[in-house]
Formats: sequence, structure tokens, C-alpha cells
Amino acid sequence: MTSGDPDLHTLAGAYVLDAVSADERARFAAHLAGCAACRAEIGELREAAASLGTARAVRPRPELRESTIRAAHRTGQFAPVIAGKQHITRRRRAAGRSRAIRAAAAAAAVIAVAAGVAAGTHYADQQGRQQPFTVSAVLSAPDAVMRSAPVSTGGMAIVVASGREHMGVFIAHGLPPLPRASSYELWLMGPAGERPAGLLRIHRNGMAGPALISGMSAGDMVGLTVEPATGSLKPTSEPVVMIG
Amino acid sequence: MTDGDRQPPGALPTGRLRGVRGARGAHGPSPKLDDLLADVARGDEQAYEGVYDLAAGWVLGVARKVLRDPAMAEEVMQEVMLEVWRRASRFDPALGSGTAWVMTLAHRRAVDRVRSERSHSDRELRAATAVIDYDDVTEAVEASLERERVQRCLASLTALQRESVSLAYYGGYTYAEVAELLGVPAGTVKTRMRDGLVKLRDCLGVQR
Repeated sequence: MTSGDPDLHTLAGAYVLDAVSADERARFAAHLAGCAACRAEIGELREAAASLGTARAVRPRPELRESTIRAAHRTGQFAPVIAGKQHITRRRRAAGRSRAIRAAAAAAAVIAVAAGVAAGTHYADQQGRQQPFTVSAVLSAPDAVMRSAPVSTGGMAIVVASGREHMGVFIAHGLPPLPRASSYELWLMGPAGERPAGLLRIHRNGMAGPALISGMSAGDMVGLTVEPATGSLKPTSEPVVMIG
Repeated sequence: MTDGDRQPPGALPTGRLRGVRGARGAHGPSPKLDDLLADVARGDEQAYEGVYDLAAGWVLGVARKVLRDPAMAEEVMQEVMLEVWRRASRFDPALGSGTAWVMTLAHRRAVDRVRSERSHSDRELRAATAVIDYDDVTEAVEASLERERVQRCLASLTALQRESVSLAYYGGYTYAEVAELLGVPAGTVKTRMRDGLVKLRDCLGVQR
């Protein structure tokens, strides 16, 4: 631990044990973001703390298994970060272009990413395994439908959805940047209620996505809201766009 | 660390694709959870069942210990396991093991819950439960090997290190509360917590 005030430095143990106030937790987390040595230390102490917990394992009642697993499968996941942005970063935003043209440009970006996949581009995960890039599976689904809508705070959003795959791809551009404490979060909003569908990362050029949305069902719309940086379980603000 | 904002690149497999990748073996016991989490990040429902079978007991255990209320502990376990499903793409094996990642989510959730419950009760009650905590922690347990190993390592800590770590982890107390309960300056408790964890890490031979 090198940077920051020495007081924070001594907080490492208490932080790992969750023995800090909410305010201290936030301050220490901010400190960690800029201190690689501290992150390494915290990582090791966390393994030790985890043993305190796993040593106390108890067997859950068997009936909890199915209900928990079923609940998970009804819940949207945080979207993975997609490593395909090199396909879209060079697109420039011209001030005078109409919304329709912008939408077309964003759609072209989605298709450019998909084309990369078709050409055999795969993205390796951290273990080095190759994964199929399933944006293409959605885009090439025979029943895929594309819809676009302006974002109330600026920019355009596009959703390509496949009812058969129960999946959608969300992409946007020209979204206003948010302060560090906030994030854009995607939601599925429909007859089954509001389900979180992942945080949306904005690239430096104002492009966002493509984000895969799983678990779409009939009547679902895709919504985007501004939430605290770590995301929310339910939307806490009005959607800036709803598409579906 | 916002346990959340670092994420491996990845994508969700479609239902059709899932059947194709079957060759994930039952080799190597410890990296298994990490592998399963990587699959869960891509929406693999079968992998999630594996994660549940490995981790739900740990999560329930820590929730029971911290909350001391079986029904509330079950609720917290289900919430945490749902979080594991939702946030799996945020798990980064470069930052630590899957076990530590799940347990961090679990402990934080249990502690947040016990603190909101406690804010309704009075100080005397808090002091009383603290004593129960301590007795419980030092009592002899003879269950699993893992339990014995952790217990042995806890015993190698100084009394103040052990009390500080135990009251925080199992009792859900902040270092300021621990300081008050033990009648020791807060600064001392902070350093004992860190020293205690370092000693515990060395004793357990924690590997990264």
C-alpha cells in the first residue's frame, strides 16, 4: 500500500471483514481503484476471510434448491463486456446528421461486429477459451426484428430482438456521459415485471454496447435508466428510452 | 474495489450451442467453481446448478452465523445466490478465487442485513449478543476438516486479534463497535484485524 492517507492504509483488515461504515467502505473502495498493491493485499486477505465462512457451511433445505435456481433463470444477468469495440470506435458523429442516419450508422456498427464474427473472429475469455460471439446468433435469427428510438437525454438506441432465441442486442450512440457515481442500466420491462438486464458501458466515443440481453419474453420492452454505479435491483429513475 | 466493475469479455451461448460444449470435466477440485462461474457469466443454466451445489451451503452457513435467525439466513442465501447469477460476468479470476468472490457477496449482504435489524434494537442487547458471539467462536467444534483447520489457525492468533476478527466476521460488528465492546482504542482494533487476517492467511496457506 503506497498511496493515500495512512489512515486508509490500516483499514484493509476491517474492510475485508466488512467492519467499516458505509462511508469508509466507499472511501476505501475508491482508494483501491488507484492502488494495485492494495488490491493484491485485499485479494489475499479475502481468501483468508472466506475460509472463516466456508468453515461454517451448513446444508440448505433441499426445497430451496429448485426455487432459487428457478428464480435465477427468470432474472436477467449483467451483460458481459464485449471485446468487439475496435469495429466501431472509428465511427464519427457528424453534428448535422439526422436521427435516422444516426440510427442507420449504429445499426451498421452492429452488423460490422457481426460480420467480424462471421469472418471467424472469436473472442477468448480470461482462461483463453474461445467463445462464440452470440450477438451474431441474435442478428442472424430468422425472426430478428430491429427497432430504434431516440434517447430522451440525447442519442439513439437500437434493439435487435429474436423471440425465438429469447434474446436481444442493445446498442446506442451519442449517449451523454454520466458522472462516475452513475451508470446506465438496461431493463426488461413487460408483463413479467421489471428485471435488470445489465449495466451498459459507454465507450469513449459515445457508443454503447452491443449488450446481449437474455431472458426476453413476449411483450417485453427494453428500457434504459440512470442508476448508481453499481446498478440497482429495480429501476430508481424514469427510463430515458423504452424500445419494444 | 467495487466487486463488480471488472469483467471478463464473454457472451451468452444460445440454448442450441449449450449442448455442444459438453467436455467440461470434473477434473481438479478447486478451480471448478471458477470455471463454472465463467460459464454462468454466459447464461449457462446447468453451470449455475453446479455453482449452487458448491456454494449455497457456504452462503447459508455464513448467513446463519451472522444473522442467527434461520429464516432470515435462508432469505439472504437466496438473495446472494441470485446475485451470483446476475453478477457472474463481474467475477474476475485474476482478482481472487470464485470462493472468495461468492463469500464476499455473502458476508457483505449478511452484515448489511444484521445491521439494519440491529438499528431497531438497543445497545444492551447488542452487547449481550456480542458475548454470545465470542463464546460460540471459541467453543470446540468437531465437524469438518476445514472447520478444524480454520479453528486451529484462529487459535494461533493473539486473543485480541482473534476477538477482533471473530466479532467482525461472525458478529457483523464494525471496528468501532468492536473497540467499544472490548474497551480498546479503535486504532488498535483496526490493526489487530489486519494483523489477524495476515496471520490467518499465512496459517491457512492461502494460495492465489
